[in-house]
Amino acid sequence: MACRAAGEELPRPCCNGYSELAPADMRRALVQERPEKHSREEAAEGGELPALEDAYLSILEGLGENPARQGLLQTPRRAAKAMQFLTKGYQETIEDILNDAIFDEDHNEMVIVKDIDMFSLCEHHLVPFFGKVHIGYLPIKKVVGLSKLARIVEIFSRRLQVQERLTRQIALAITEALKPAGVAVIVEASHMCMVMRGVQKMNSRTVTSTMLGVLREDPKTREEFLTLIKN
Amino acid sequence: MEKGKLGALLEQPPRSVSCNGYALEEKPQQQPPPPPPAAPSRALERPRYSQGTSARCLDSWREERTRSEEDNEMNLPSLAAAYTTILRSLGEDPERQGLLRTPWRAATAMQFFTKGYQETISDVLNDAIFDEDHDEMVIVKDIDMFSLCEHHLVPFVGKVHIGYLPNKQVLGLSKLARIVEIYSRRLQVQERLTKQIAVAITEALQPTGVGVVIEATHMCMVMRGVQKMNSKTVTSTMLGVFREDAKTREEFLTLIRS
Repeated sequence: MACRAAGEELPRPCCNGYSELAPADMRRALVQERPEKHSREEAAEGGELPALEDAYLSILEGLGENPARQGLLQTPRRAAKAMQFLTKGYQETIEDILNDAIFDEDHNEMVIVKDIDMFSLCEHHLVPFFGKVHIGYLPIKKVVGLSKLARIVEIFSRRLQVQERLTRQIALAITEALKPAGVAVIVEASHMCMVMRGVQKMNSRTVTSTMLGVLREDPKTREEFLTLIKN
Repeated sequence: MEKGKLGALLEQPPRSVSCNGYALEEKPQQQPPPPPPAAPSRALERPRYSQGTSARCLDSWREERTRSEEDNEMNLPSLAAAYTTILRSLGEDPERQGLLRTPWRAATAMQFFTKGYQETISDVLNDAIFDEDHDEMVIVKDIDMFSLCEHHLVPFVGKVHIGYLPNKQVLGLSKLARIVEIYSRRLQVQERLTKQIAVAITEALQPTGVGVVIEATHMCMVMRGVQKMNSKTVTSTMLGVFREDAKTREEFLTLIRS
């Protein structure tokens, strides 16, 4: 079978049918705008904290509040640390968390981890969006530790995100790590930028999904996944 | 932030509002603010507390802080600059496509989330108080509330239930929700928010009693820190006959539960 990514005929599938993305594109979509290693480490050490605190102090003043009142005295520091926590995904890499937890198992039935709580920040308004992530994959000889799926969700969600990109990044990360027969990721979230401001629709939810491999090509497999996450 | 700005902040006479519009007891005299620290003034070197600057609180809910639309426009560029700094400090690239207009959007969003500072109770309530010979309990429940935690600048969301026993004067029902909006669209603490709503209704209507219950989920507890997903915080303020008479309070609590 000809593989567009490898560019030649191979005795067995080389990328399990994920031929819509060349490896370079896949890596770029996966990595997104990850900063250079030195700035990541500097951020992790708290080197940026004073600048963040000053920025939050300006914000408090710009909103007409009095930053010297008791309740707001430590707010710039707390808000800066909170924001660093909410974007800690920038400091973590998939290799860090997945290194040892891929196991050889002779299992080729669907594995699903559903209802993973997800909290992220909308990159357009810097306002939270949160919801649940459902992940399913069909392993080929390799399975991953179950909590690692939730950790992959954490890495990509603790960033400034767009829900569509988040979904795709989770799916591509699992693909790269395991080379399974198929991966499906569904994210269902409520966006505070729509609930607290703007159109102010309280009960609206946004659902995005990424289906790769056999979960994209075979409707019955996809249907099995969608049914299993519904119950 | 330029050097000396924090020092100047501490040297200025405190602004008229230091406690978000909620009155504690009036201090007899105003103490002078403490001298600014000698070290370069950064947020880190700010004194842990400063009794002088926060001494003077308001003496009435009526004395609202008013921010105007012009203030909003004037402050928008500095807010946007602050957000650009935040993006850069987090390790992001503010020039990439998704983040190009984010400082402006985030600044406008934050101004919207604190628009309660632009509104006063008297604006909202002026015409909607009616004389009615009704002395049974009036309840408006499940009012969606969205506020910002003043400690972490992270949202907390929930529902407000309000009940009052009118004394010849009733209030337009949507005005109760508007009172909630005015006080919740600020940097808040849930306890203070509850009390402010109750005190505002009391002062406007002089009812026999007022009860306010707020049940909220704090994102600062859910998204960070202890990370307890399902926790809810419930605060209540009971004034007048709601506080003194257990049966009235029980009727209110039963009716909001169902």
